[in-house]
Amino acid sequence: MIASLTLPTTGTLRFSPDNRLSLAGTTRSISKMSFATVNPCKSAIHASTATAPAVETRKSRSASLYEVLKVNRNASPVEIKTAYRSLAKVYHPDTSSSSHSDSSDGRDFIEIHKAYTTLSDPAAKALYDLSLSAGSRGRPFGYAAVVSRSGFYPTRRWETDQCW
Amino acid sequence: MAEPAYTVASDSETIGEEKSSSAFPEIAIGIDFGTSQSSVAVWNGSQVELLRNARNQKLMRSFVTFKDEIPSGGVSYQLSHEYEMLSGAAIFNMKRLIGRVDTDPVVHSSKNLPFLVQTLDIGVRPFVAALVNNVWRSTTPEEVLAIYLVELRALAEIHLKRPVRNVVLTIPVSFSRFQLTRIERACAMAGLHVLRLMPEPTAVALLYAQQQQQNMHENMGSGSEKIALIFNMGAGYCDVAITATAGGVSQIKALSGSTIGGEDILQNMMCHLLPNMDNLFSSHGINEIKSMGLLRVATQDAIHKLSLQTSVQVDVDLGNGSKINKIVDRVEFEEVNKNVFEKCETLVNQCLQDAKVDVEDVNDVILVGGCSNIPRIRNLVLGICKTETSYNRMNPLVAAVCGAALEGAVASGISDPFGSLDLLTIQATPLNIGIQADGNAFVPIINRNTTMPSRKESIFTTAHDNQSEALIVVYEGDNQSLEKNHLLGYFKIMGIPPAPKGVPQIRVCMDIDASNVLRVSAGEVVPTMPFMEVRMPTVDDGHGWCAQALIGQYGSTLDLISVPKMMQQ
Repeated sequence: MIASLTLPTTGTLRFSPDNRLSLAGTTRSISKMSFATVNPCKSAIHASTATAPAVETRKSRSASLYEVLKVNRNASPVEIKTAYRSLAKVYHPDTSSSSHSDSSDGRDFIEIHKAYTTLSDPAAKALYDLSLSAGSRGRPFGYAAVVSRSGFYPTRRWETDQCW
Repeated sequence: MAEPAYTVASDSETIGEEKSSSAFPEIAIGIDFGTSQSSVAVWNGSQVELLRNARNQKLMRSFVTFKDEIPSGGVSYQLSHEYEMLSGAAIFNMKRLIGRVDTDPVVHSSKNLPFLVQTLDIGVRPFVAALVNNVWRSTTPEEVLAIYLVELRALAEIHLKRPVRNVVLTIPVSFSRFQLTRIERACAMAGLHVLRLMPEPTAVALLYAQQQQQNMHENMGSGSEKIALIFNMGAGYCDVAITATAGGVSQIKALSGSTIGGEDILQNMMCHLLPNMDNLFSSHGINEIKSMGLLRVATQDAIHKLSLQTSVQVDVDLGNGSKINKIVDRVEFEEVNKNVFEKCETLVNQCLQDAKVDVEDVNDVILVGGCSNIPRIRNLVLGICKTETSYNRMNPLVAAVCGAALEGAVASGISDPFGSLDLLTIQATPLNIGIQADGNAFVPIINRNTTMPSRKESIFTTAHDNQSEALIVVYEGDNQSLEKNHLLGYFKIMGIPPAPKGVPQIRVCMDIDASNVLRVSAGEVVPTMPFMEVRMPTVDDGHGWCAQALIGQYGSTLDLISVPKMMQQ
C-alpha cells in the first residue's frame, strides 16, 4: 500500500517548489521534516519528493472517514453535513484561510469531500461501518488512497499554456 | 508565498506582478462578458459595487466597432443609433463565436449577422471580418474580446485608482476547455490575469449564498440547507444549476447548459418574418447589410414588446422594395421558437435528474438573464418546479456579475469583519472528461457534476499482444460517441514491457484543481518508465483533423482497453 501511494510521484518529473527548496539548502529540508511529523497526512507527499524515507512509515496509518470529518461514529446526517461544510470553509483552496497557510493544498478538501460522499449516503455509510467493525486494517471502503503531490495549487507551474 | 519554481518568458510578467501584490492582496474584479451586454463589479470593502461607464451605464453593449481604423468598444463608444452597430463595421456576438470551428452549427447561424463570418466547412477557425471603408478587415473573436476587455479594464482602473490585473470572469456552462483557453488568451492580450472562470449560474449561486447568510443574521431564521434551481438565459447561452446552500457554502450539485439564447429566438423570428432571409443576405453587399440591420432591429423590438403584450404590429421597409407589414401574436411567437423552449425544458429536467433532487425539495427558483423576461420561459421553468413565483431578491441582469465580484474577493483571500465574505462555492465539472478506449468508445474518467477540486483514476490495459506503446487521447463532452465530443489532447506512453494483451496495467489519472486546471497523467501501475503528465488542453483549433490524422497514422495499434472497476486490485 505504501508503494502504491508514492509511486506515481517518484516517477514523475516535477519541478515543485518543495523539491526545489530541499535542493537549495539543508536547513529547509530539516524544517520540512519536522513539519511532516506534525502532520502525518502531509508527510506522504514530501516523503516522495524531498525528505528521508524514515518519514514514509508514519503516513500509512490512514484516518477513518469519521476522523477526516472530525465527527463521532454515531453522528447524525445533519451533523455530518454541517461538519463537511465547516471543514470545506477551512480547507477548500478558494477560502481565505487556506490560501495563506501552508497547511492545505486542496488535497485535504478532496479527502474531506470523499469522506462526506461516503458518509452522507446511507448505503455506503453502512458498508463502510461494516468494514470498520470488521477490523480490516486494509484500505477502508470508499476511501481511495490519496496520491497527491505538493505545491500543486499555485495555479501556474513551469508549463506555459500550451494551447496558445 | 511559494515562488514559482520555474519561470517561462511568456509568464514572467504575470508572475512578477503576483509576487509584488502577495503582501497586500489585490481584489480581483468580476466581469460578466455577455453575448449582448457586459458589466463589471468589484467588492469595495463592504459590498459589491457595480461600475458605471462615462455614460452612467452599468450594462454596456458587447461590441467593438472598427469604423475609424482605431477600434473602439461598447464601454466607451456611444452608438448614434442601433443601426450603427449593424453597419458591418462592428463585431458583436463574440461570445458565440469564440473558440469554434467553421463546421460548428453556431458559427453557421452567425453567418447572417451584418459583419462577415465566412466558413470553409473544413474544421478550421472561421474568417471573421469587419467592414472598414468598404474593405473587409479580418479580425478574430479573441482580438475583439481583448479590445473590449482593455476598455473594461480602463474603466475599472479609473474607478479604483489602482492598476487592475486579476479578474474573475463568468462563462457559460457549455464552454469547452478549449473555449476557456481562448477566453484566457483574450484576457492575457488585455493584460488581465484570470483568477477564476466561473460558470454563470454558479456566480449567481454565490450571490444567493450571501443573501441567505444575511437573511439568517437578520431574521434569526433557520440555518438549514436550501436547494435552489438557477436558470440563466441570455442572448447567447442557456445554463441551469442546482445548488445546495447552507452557512454561506454553496455546493453545486449539477450543471447543464447549451448554446441557445435570445439570438436563436431572434433568428427564428427573422426567418419567420422573411422566409428567404438566408438567400437575401448571403452576399453581404452594402444594401443587404442595411436591410438586414433594419429587419434585425424591428424583430428585436417586436420580441421585447411580446413579453409585455399579446400581439405586436411589425412594419419595416427593407429598402430594397420589399416591405413587411405583419401582426405577430404571442402564440405565433411561441410556435416559431418551439425548439428553443423545448431545449430549455430538457436542460432543466436534465439538471434536476443529475442533481438527484425532487422538484418538491427545491426551495427557490432563480430566473436570471435577459430571456428570463419572456413569459413562456418563466412559465416553463416555474411549471417544472411546480411553483408560482420565482426568487425576487436579485436583479436578473446583474446577478452573475455580482457573484463574480464576490468570488473575486473570496478567491483573493479578502475577509470581511462582518462575515459578508464568509462564503464558498464548491464547483462541479460541467462535462465528462475521459479517454478513447475499447475501440472507438469514450470512457469517462471524471464524470460530469463531479465536485472540484477532484482527482480520479482508472486502470486500462493493452489491446494487442506485446504492445509497447499506447496512445492516450483525451476528450471532453456529454456525448456517448467520441466524435461528437471535444478533443482536448493526446500523448503516447512508451516502454510497456512485452506481455500478452490484457496483462499490463496502465493507470490514467485526471486531476482538476480549484482553478479548474486539468492535468492528465498516465503510466504503468508498477512503473518501469516515468509517468507522463500533460496539462490539457493541448490541441489548437482544427482538432477534428488531429483525431482523423491519429486514426490514419496508427489505426488501432496503440489502443487501450478499460478494466472494470471490479477487476482492479
